[in-house]
Amino acid sequence: MSSFRVSGRGRVDHTQPIQFTFDGKKIKGFKGDTIASALLANGIHLMGRSFKYHRPRGAVTAGSEEPNALVGTRRGPGRFEPNTRATVQEIWDGLQVNSQNRYPSLSFDIGAINDKAYMLFSAGFYYKTFMWPKSFWDKVYEPFIRAAAGLGVSPTEPDPDHYASRYLHTDVLIIGAGPAGLAAALTAARAGSQVTLVDENPEAGGSLLSEPSAVIEDVPAWDWVAKTVAELKELGVKVMTRTTAIGYYHQNMVGLCEKLTDHLASPDAETPRERMWRVRAKQVVLAQGALEKPLVFDGNDRPGVMLAGSAQTYINRYGVRVGNKAVIVTSHDSAWYAAFDLADAGTTIAAIVDTRSEPNADLIAEATKRGIRIMAGHTVTGTEGRLRVKSVRVNPVTGSTVGQAEIIGCDCLLMSGGWTPSLHLFSHTKGTLKWDDERQTFLPDHKAEECEIAGAGRGLWGIEAVLNDGAEMGAAVAKSLGKKAKAASYGVANDRSGTGVSHKELPTDLDAGKARAFVDYQNDVTAKDLRLAVREGMRSIEHVKRYTTNGMATDQGKMSNINGLNIASDALGVPQPKVGLTTFRPPYTPTTFGAFCGYHKGSHFEVTRKTPIDSWAEENGAAYEPVSLWRRAWYFPKDGEDMHAAVSRECLATRASVGIFDASTLGKIEVVGPDSVEFMNRMYTNPWTKLAPGRARYGLLLGDDGFIRDDGVIGRLADDRFHVTTTTGGAARVLNMMEDYLQTEWPDLDVWLTSTTEQWATIALNGPNARKVLEPFVEGLDMSDEAFPHMSVAECRVGGFPARLFRISFTGEVGFEVNVPAHAGRALWEMLFEAGKKYDICPYGTETMHVLRAEKGYIIVGQDTDGTVTPHDAGLSWAIGKMKPDFVGKRGLARPDLVAEGRKQLIGLLTEDGKTKLEEGAQIVLDPNQPKPMKMVGHVTSSYHSDAAGRPIAMALLEDGFNRMGETIYIPMPDRVIKATVTGTVFYDPEGERLKL
Amino acid sequence: MTVLTHAFTPGPIVASGQVKLTLMAPVARFSLRLRAANIPAVSKAIGVDLATTVGVRAANGTTESICLGPDEWLIIAKPDDADTVTKVCADVYASATHSLTEVSAREVTVRIEGERASELLTIGCPRDIDSIPVGGGCRTVIDGVTVVLWRDAEQSFRMDIWRSFALHIIDLLCTGCKEFAAE
Amino acid sequence: MLLIHCPYCNQTLPELEFTYAGEAHIARPADPSSVSDEEWRDFLFIRTNVKGPHYERWRHFHGCGRYFNAVRDTVSDRFLITYKTDDPRPELSKLLEKSK
Repeated sequence: MSSFRVSGRGRVDHTQPIQFTFDGKKIKGFKGDTIASALLANGIHLMGRSFKYHRPRGAVTAGSEEPNALVGTRRGPGRFEPNTRATVQEIWDGLQVNSQNRYPSLSFDIGAINDKAYMLFSAGFYYKTFMWPKSFWDKVYEPFIRAAAGLGVSPTEPDPDHYASRYLHTDVLIIGAGPAGLAAALTAARAGSQVTLVDENPEAGGSLLSEPSAVIEDVPAWDWVAKTVAELKELGVKVMTRTTAIGYYHQNMVGLCEKLTDHLASPDAETPRERMWRVRAKQVVLAQGALEKPLVFDGNDRPGVMLAGSAQTYINRYGVRVGNKAVIVTSHDSAWYAAFDLADAGTTIAAIVDTRSEPNADLIAEATKRGIRIMAGHTVTGTEGRLRVKSVRVNPVTGSTVGQAEIIGCDCLLMSGGWTPSLHLFSHTKGTLKWDDERQTFLPDHKAEECEIAGAGRGLWGIEAVLNDGAEMGAAVAKSLGKKAKAASYGVANDRSGTGVSHKELPTDLDAGKARAFVDYQNDVTAKDLRLAVREGMRSIEHVKRYTTNGMATDQGKMSNINGLNIASDALGVPQPKVGLTTFRPPYTPTTFGAFCGYHKGSHFEVTRKTPIDSWAEENGAAYEPVSLWRRAWYFPKDGEDMHAAVSRECLATRASVGIFDASTLGKIEVVGPDSVEFMNRMYTNPWTKLAPGRARYGLLLGDDGFIRDDGVIGRLADDRFHVTTTTGGAARVLNMMEDYLQTEWPDLDVWLTSTTEQWATIALNGPNARKVLEPFVEGLDMSDEAFPHMSVAECRVGGFPARLFRISFTGEVGFEVNVPAHAGRALWEMLFEAGKKYDICPYGTETMHVLRAEKGYIIVGQDTDGTVTPHDAGLSWAIGKMKPDFVGKRGLARPDLVAEGRKQLIGLLTEDGKTKLEEGAQIVLDPNQPKPMKMVGHVTSSYHSDAAGRPIAMALLEDGFNRMGETIYIPMPDRVIKATVTGTVFYDPEGERLKL
Repeated sequence: MTVLTHAFTPGPIVASGQVKLTLMAPVARFSLRLRAANIPAVSKAIGVDLATTVGVRAANGTTESICLGPDEWLIIAKPDDADTVTKVCADVYASATHSLTEVSAREVTVRIEGERASELLTIGCPRDIDSIPVGGGCRTVIDGVTVVLWRDAEQSFRMDIWRSFALHIIDLLCTGCKEFAAE
Repeated sequence: MLLIHCPYCNQTLPELEFTYAGEAHIARPADPSSVSDEEWRDFLFIRTNVKGPHYERWRHFHGCGRYFNAVRDTVSDRFLITYKTDDPRPELSKLLEKSK
């Protein structure tokens, strides 16, 4: 193992070596390592290239806030993920890792030319550069920007993984299992609350994992963590690791993304990769700790420049020294401890550079004891090193004077600019923040949800303070749930608490305008960019953010926000709270689309509703089309037939003898009660009072605006019982509308509505021989023309099943619709099909149904109407009960626009050549030679080839169409202009002779 | 695991050890709607209580009722008793108007039982399952689909699903069973 | 996802069981044929579109099926109250006082 790994140190398993590849090179690590810790253990700091300047970058953190070390990971065929954070992803044998945003290689990258030209790429570069000429946009600018955009490469293969989701209801949800979260969980659980504790890390412990020397109540920190987790589980606490709280929504709904397999070499095939939890908690404790801030100075982004707290994590959690010779630069006490831990592990500490002139005396004593050079009251003004930092430029600062520089050699530079409470989730709730002058950061103020913030998240520092605060908050939430709770008091030895100061850019003796002092590493935003934005007129922090892209990368500015604010505030000459903070939005860390999709992919993407007869259609080779959520048999091709041939055959067979059609998807609503006829009179345009039981009528439903909403045949079964049918797609909508009127406008009516769509399977038989096929199966009904004429309904038995039989027609042929209980649908279908064979019965699908109805000029609501069509426009004025005092839409029909002349009206179209079939949706003009843009006067709504008419037929909505009968109109197409003649909409059997038996 | 089709043949669907799914035999099922004043008469005619709190059930032998809305009940009976229910309701209709609509074939029913039955429901049902008492029920939503859920025991549920949505929901439940088995 | 109290079920339940149904207290005129074009236009189309407490309708679609009324603050997305369709329109000042 390399010299950077400290034997026996850390929480990795030194007995379990693991091998993975980085850019094809084999790398060794241990179980428990992340990609970053394993690379660092091998002395590798260079892990990626930056977004804009392609600057070499290494891991700057040890956690999910990492902006630099983003890599592509491959977990086998199809399993590729871009922008994986190397500081989070655990390694396993065979994991393939690749660096990104570089060509041809990570160490030699052509794109790095951008870095040399950095003066060109300042804030607002894109806005200023890609403005003109306009013609360059499509061909030059957009392709260039698209090629340059993004860090990783999108996966191209379908994702073979599956994803899961769960709902969870809990009394208390605690987010973050560091000291505050553990103490809160323990207190709330001991008080008898039902507790869920989540943490994004593979194990609980949080900052305690990086502080093994702390002793809590006489127990070493790591043992205390183990003991506490064991007790929590004993108390029934649901402890979830590798689980990120990504968003905090209304009324304590928190979204969690649990990663289940990314850390496994060979996961179980049935185990989902990730699971999205939608948690509803009565109380939430946010214990997310704080994130360390970088210092802003020239060259603060070179590989080897890292946050001091992260270096401390690497040595204590992973047993990895991040270098052999370190310089520390800090404005906070915490970095001193990182220096001590590294020194004790064998790293030479070349210097501790503290920006404060008088650091804590105890720290100075500790450093002196270790022989570390202390440079108090100093600044860092630059770094050198191409692919790794090799020296640091340090200057003394006296007042506002920056003194002579000294160059100090090193192989890593550890920085700390203090700590920022992690308040992202709190901000999701629209909880307000308050600027804390002493800590130079925002702290939570007014809460908008039932939650508490514990520990470092509200600015507390030191393990003891955080533990006690966690316990207090755990007690507080338990008490609010009516439990008796007592907060334990914790004593901590070796508690390395501290204080610090906050900075804008560090002072420098060099030209600040040339400094490459990065604020947002991932988007390559420098301090200079922020100041330029202010100079160029940006005043609001939201504008500065968008102009410079500060905080807009995938890390959402976790490290850059406060530094960016400090600099903008300085440039504006306004204090920070007056400048304000940009808004954090979910998700907290990048989240896969898979986690959001959950189970909704592949065959489970959406419900596919199937009728009871669907299986017969499938066995008989039907082609399907989706109609709302249903899949419906579209046509039944025989060997070698295309759609046109099949539909043509089905149409001819039905008109010649008999066709059978599955109409089960039609919506059905049972309207029952003494006031059912009154209700029907009010809902539908038609009059219902005189419709006798046993008779059926075409019903037209409008909205109160007067436009057509739905239609269907309605049968009166008894004085107080109607069987209403709706369009397939309109079923739920119509019932909803009926319930709305009934419940809120006419609650006095004694009538009730029940959806019976799925109670019945509906089989339509149409054609001159339809009755001959059906009659032998019908019991208890005289089917003669006199006893059971067109537009009749009866309850009887068909094929031995209880049935509701309609004599109606949507084809212009003699037609019946048999409704039997759904489970009997297929059996009856098969009986009728067998019996129909001697009449060459032909099963047909929705396409033939459409052609047959169009030949008769019957409309399809939603195809020939579009929500702006009145009954008159559709030629359905006859369906209006003019004597009725009111119905839904009656007043609307009298609106000035609806009675105006020249509205678009539904007419027929016949193309002049008698051969060309129009395209549905094609636009109509009166003069094809007019200049563009032409005035469009309508569009084609339905168009088919009709064998019955011997030519293509079409329907269209055309301005003043009823007055244009016989006129020629034009349909311009990309390659030609089609001429057509305006006609009526009935193309076949206009006298209705064929409806007679 | 049984591959279920739209024939909806009753029988076991999947048993993962922790959860068992069974497609139940058909029952007679009615949607009953009426105003409060007529509850006593119709309740007496059918022979089962009609609770006035949403989610509360009543049973008399094999006839069961559940209140689904302020004026809505679902009545379950043996298939053989369907005609009787229809007749007794028709007999009191004149004096106690109501709407009785048979929906026996509209839904299929799945039994979900086993030590993780309630947890299985959480993969698609946003309602807090623990809030449904044993012996109670509710109409709710799972994976976007309306269902009626009957809690018969701590870890035994019946779920009534409209036929055309049933395979989608059963597919989801089976996926959940596989997940459990892999844990 | 909000939690919504259904006044008919008397339970507070996930939003996924509910559907939104537009502004509340817009009664359909008793005799539509007697109202002017302008009045009918207002009934059909004109809504208050308030920023703040909004009287609106919801339906417990996947539950008891009832339409009911609610006052919800469109800024904070918080319900001040839900009530049955035939309950009187609650006074806003009292609701705001209560929610404090």
